[in-house]
Amino acid sequence: MKKIVTLKRILIYFVPIFLIGCAGADVYRDQNMDFGSIKTIAVMPFTSLTRDNIVAERVRDVFINKLLATDAVYIVPVGEVARGVSRAEIQTPTTPSPEEVVKLAAIIKVQAVITGVVREYGEVRSGTASANVISLSIEMMETQTGKVVWAAASTKGGINIWDRLFGGGGQPMNKITLKAINDLVDKLLK
Amino acid sequence: MILSTSFSNRAAVLLLASSLFLSGCVGVKGDDKEAPAPRGGKFSIAVFPIENLSGRAAPRGEIRESLIRNLKMEGFQVLDDDALEKFMARNRIRYTGGIDRVTAQALRMETGVEAVLITSIELYSEEIPPKIALISRLVSTGDNPVILWTDGVGLAGDDSPGILGLGLIEDSKTLMEKALHVLSSSITNYFLINKEQREGKRPARKFRPKIAYRSPEIGGGKKYTVAVVPFFNIGGRKFAGEIMLLHFIRSLKRFKNYDVIEPGIVRQELLRLRIIIEEGVSFADATLISSTLGADWILNGKVMDYQDYAGSWGKPKVDFSAVLIERKGREVVWNSTSHNEGDDGVFFFDRGRVNTAYAMASQMTQMVVKMIGEETKSVQGAKASKDRVK
Repeated sequence: MKKIVTLKRILIYFVPIFLIGCAGADVYRDQNMDFGSIKTIAVMPFTSLTRDNIVAERVRDVFINKLLATDAVYIVPVGEVARGVSRAEIQTPTTPSPEEVVKLAAIIKVQAVITGVVREYGEVRSGTASANVISLSIEMMETQTGKVVWAAASTKGGINIWDRLFGGGGQPMNKITLKAINDLVDKLLK
Repeated sequence: MILSTSFSNRAAVLLLASSLFLSGCVGVKGDDKEAPAPRGGKFSIAVFPIENLSGRAAPRGEIRESLIRNLKMEGFQVLDDDALEKFMARNRIRYTGGIDRVTAQALRMETGVEAVLITSIELYSEEIPPKIALISRLVSTGDNPVILWTDGVGLAGDDSPGILGLGLIEDSKTLMEKALHVLSSSITNYFLINKEQREGKRPARKFRPKIAYRSPEIGGGKKYTVAVVPFFNIGGRKFAGEIMLLHFIRSLKRFKNYDVIEPGIVRQELLRLRIIIEEGVSFADATLISSTLGADWILNGKVMDYQDYAGSWGKPKVDFSAVLIERKGREVVWNSTSHNEGDDGVFFFDRGRVNTAYAMASQMTQMVVKMIGEETKSVQGAKASKDRVK
């Protein structure tokens, strides 16, 4: 009897701590950074870890649009970023080095550069159930030193208990992409 | 007795008046039959060979012949094929999806035609139910070629099946003739009614962009000159970038506060300036293009998906983003993402279903252009839209 009470106590104390730890793990924010000074951002081409390379371009496009629609920051058009990448001679624009970030910022006049990785995009299956899923992570680098000042990740969609019991195939890809991007933008602006 | 006399008089007057009225009506109709006025107003045009953007084989010659026949019936004077072929050979014209300044000048000088009709096939499928989509525009010839009229048509054989499927069209030729009739009627209407009356049917709300940003720099009521650059195509459909360009031109022309530069002129300038648009237009390119063309705005974007389907099963998909760059401020003044599928908002008996990507893209681009022009900011931003990055 005493053992059970002790186990309950352990669970009551540790489960919330464990959950809080999980919740905070997908956002990093540099406490010394003045985010208010960021007015103009360049969004670099995203990396796609999926089979489809178009996915990265699609997600990047929605992300740029959503960030611009918040009215909080100005995003440099992709054509201008491409020109900057070409002039700064950046070999891998998806993962620029800190030096390359500084060089690029001087050309296209931005205060921050965002890179992203699309880790999962499309249909996932488990047994007879299937649903769409998206998983992406974003990093923001300030352009004076090229240091990462903010990073976040988001995963939306996937198979839930409802899909397992009744099927249905989950939500459309466009909808969950928008949900994941909304989540990231909210994390940035919070 | 007196009463009966007055009654007979009244009856006689009524009879006389009604017969006069009726004869008047007959007379008007009869006059119309005797001397039908040329609806096209003796306007002389050249019909360029049809551009095929469908990505597969289409009866270009047949469509052109049928279009010319319709136009002649409406009273237009169409430049004969021999003269057009000679002109094209003499001036080495291969591209028929647009017209540049030099060609427009030469066409007026050498053949005397007042305008050129440029038609593009967006979709052609003979599989039952057949589908067809065409976009046409009339561009003036001479020193300053301008788009006089532009319209399009997208039809599927099962658009209006009706009771027991009696309205189904299974013959592709019948559908083609129907589409060409819509186009030739529209071009004739341009010469009969005012431009202001041509705004047409309002697009459905479901075709609004899913995300949109509109800069306060866009002033309401001002007139802007817009150069539309071919959209960057990252989807699987061939020529989707060019198709989207044509849709935007058509939508912009519906609003009186936009002057759209003929895409043939834009293309020629891009070639002359050796500008290769890889991912999108940069500020340097935008400044260069707009200063040479005198444009206030440069419109471009990306097409992620532009899908049609053949046969009965499937649904069209359109997914694109549009970016508007202003020359003066060198900044993005509009950015939007739109995506729709043919069965969006359809719950019962396929009511509201759209069968061609043309019909969807047409309404989606109209919605984008409408929102650009709206003075009130109707933007679907993130929840924290008023916040600044802290």
